[in-house]
Amino acid sequence: MRERILEILQDQRPDIDFENETELVSGGLLESFDIVSIVSELDDEFDIEITPKELKAENFDSLDALTKLIESLSEE
Amino acid sequence: MEKNVLEWLEKTGRIMPDKVAYEDSAESVTFRQVMEEARRMGSRLAEKVTDPAPIAVMMGRNVHTIISYLAVVYSGHVYAPIDAALPEDRINKILDTLRPSAVFTEENFAETASKYAEAAKCPLYTREELNVGMTAWPILNKIRTKMTEIDPLYVIFTSGSSGRPKGVLTSHHSLMCYISSYTHMMSIKTEDRIGCQSPLDYIAAVRDIYVPLLTGASDHLVPKEYFMQPDELFNFMNEKEITAVGWSTSALTVLTKLGVFEDTKLTTLKKICFSGSVMPGKVLKKWQENLPDAVFVNQYGPTEATASCTYFRIDHVVAEDEVLPIGVPYDNYKVFLLKDNGEEAAVGEEGEICVSGPILALGYYRDPERTEEAFTRNPLVTEYYERMYRTGDIGKFREDGILEFHGRRDRQVKHMGHRVELDEIEAAASQSAGVAESAVLYDHSKEVIWLFYSGEAEKRDLVLFLRTELPGFMVPRKVNKLEDLPKLPNGKTDISSLKSIAGII
Repeated sequence: MRERILEILQDQRPDIDFENETELVSGGLLESFDIVSIVSELDDEFDIEITPKELKAENFDSLDALTKLIESLSEE
Repeated sequence: MEKNVLEWLEKTGRIMPDKVAYEDSAESVTFRQVMEEARRMGSRLAEKVTDPAPIAVMMGRNVHTIISYLAVVYSGHVYAPIDAALPEDRINKILDTLRPSAVFTEENFAETASKYAEAAKCPLYTREELNVGMTAWPILNKIRTKMTEIDPLYVIFTSGSSGRPKGVLTSHHSLMCYISSYTHMMSIKTEDRIGCQSPLDYIAAVRDIYVPLLTGASDHLVPKEYFMQPDELFNFMNEKEITAVGWSTSALTVLTKLGVFEDTKLTTLKKICFSGSVMPGKVLKKWQENLPDAVFVNQYGPTEATASCTYFRIDHVVAEDEVLPIGVPYDNYKVFLLKDNGEEAAVGEEGEICVSGPILALGYYRDPERTEEAFTRNPLVTEYYERMYRTGDIGKFREDGILEFHGRRDRQVKHMGHRVELDEIEAAASQSAGVAESAVLYDHSKEVIWLFYSGEAEKRDLVLFLRTELPGFMVPRKVNKLEDLPKLPNGKTDISSLKSIAGII
């Protein structure tokens, strides 16, 4: 799952080092329209629904945080 | 008659000195503080910078950036806001055109900014080091007595098709005409609390900067990252009791796509103006349904006409597929349509949207050629010289005098609130090693820029290269490598077959 998420992220923004960045949103690396595309791809790929409740910097600031979010949403 | 934006600041500063003018996440400043700090820094700038060229301002998203713009005005210079996060090459191109007399920055950005000051061979000052000492009244007074209302206030750079950004130069008078008309149309009052979405270096921010000076309203800088976190944003707006906003259409669109209003409501927002691109009916409908008592206004206009031309106050809940008109000219604006043969388009006929009046920019800074192309004589007025600006947009007047927007004459698109020349992206791609041919397309419904190319280059390398040449919003998010670009019998790129690959309707 982590690998697939990384692919989706890298496809959107090949210039960002997603393995090591920990402030993707709070550091202003991702633009709002990146988030829109990433959310819609993740929703489709993992058959989940990311809602505003989950759209918090702490869930999107790193690949690990995002993986954890997707895992918990997939379990529901 | 007022002829200088500083008169607005001084008047409001006299009437309500202790009212908050601007606020960011760290602090808020009153009108008195704004006035004092701007005069102090302005005095130091006036003493140190004798070259009359514009001063480039490279600062972050905080209240002191706005005060620094005003300090530059006090010093008798024109300010040119520059986003320090732009690629180095692009900033150098801007500075090449600007030839600034100084770079004005803050400690946080000093390292980056010093590199540019060195390249531009001009001195560098931080706002921290200049915010000292007394106001040099004799110097400031002398500067003011020499100033007229047609003196330039700012230079704001915008996309140019050749890859050289254009610096739009605007006067005090133009800016004051627009802000007065806008404030009146939106009925912004002293008690309003404005929520600022626009980056401070961008044209749309002129409302957030100057409406408070005219009205005494306060402006709150919303942190950029809140626009991807709808709940955080709404909580912030409710807590700050934001009543009025002038946002880009795409900010509203993005929030809607992210599921805004699902579990948080807005409780204080009453006045919403949106601009920058065509508003999809289904997005507006969602906001109208959730804010039934709010006023919604669609604004249209290019940077060259001080961001404004026409407005349309929406008087009903729109349908999902409804296309909004762009409305009627602002007070003191003349808007008309010219056909290719130079005649005026009749009601119901398409023509290029042209504008004249006191809001016309002074021109493109140090660029007479492109200024003469865009700002021309109005052919409908033969008895004297009336200056007008050709927007490059196509419009049509309805029977009731309301203007509709019918697309572009050229390949310029509005993407995420920014003006983007697709030619400029192709020009940048063609400079990348290993790119044989390229074609750029825009998917308006999904708001995505597509790039097709042929050649040896790897997709990743090409994107990384484009990031060094173009602002982030201009870098295509969909990049597709093809063996060869499809061709029409006449040898031109077959755009419609590329559109079908991209799934663009």
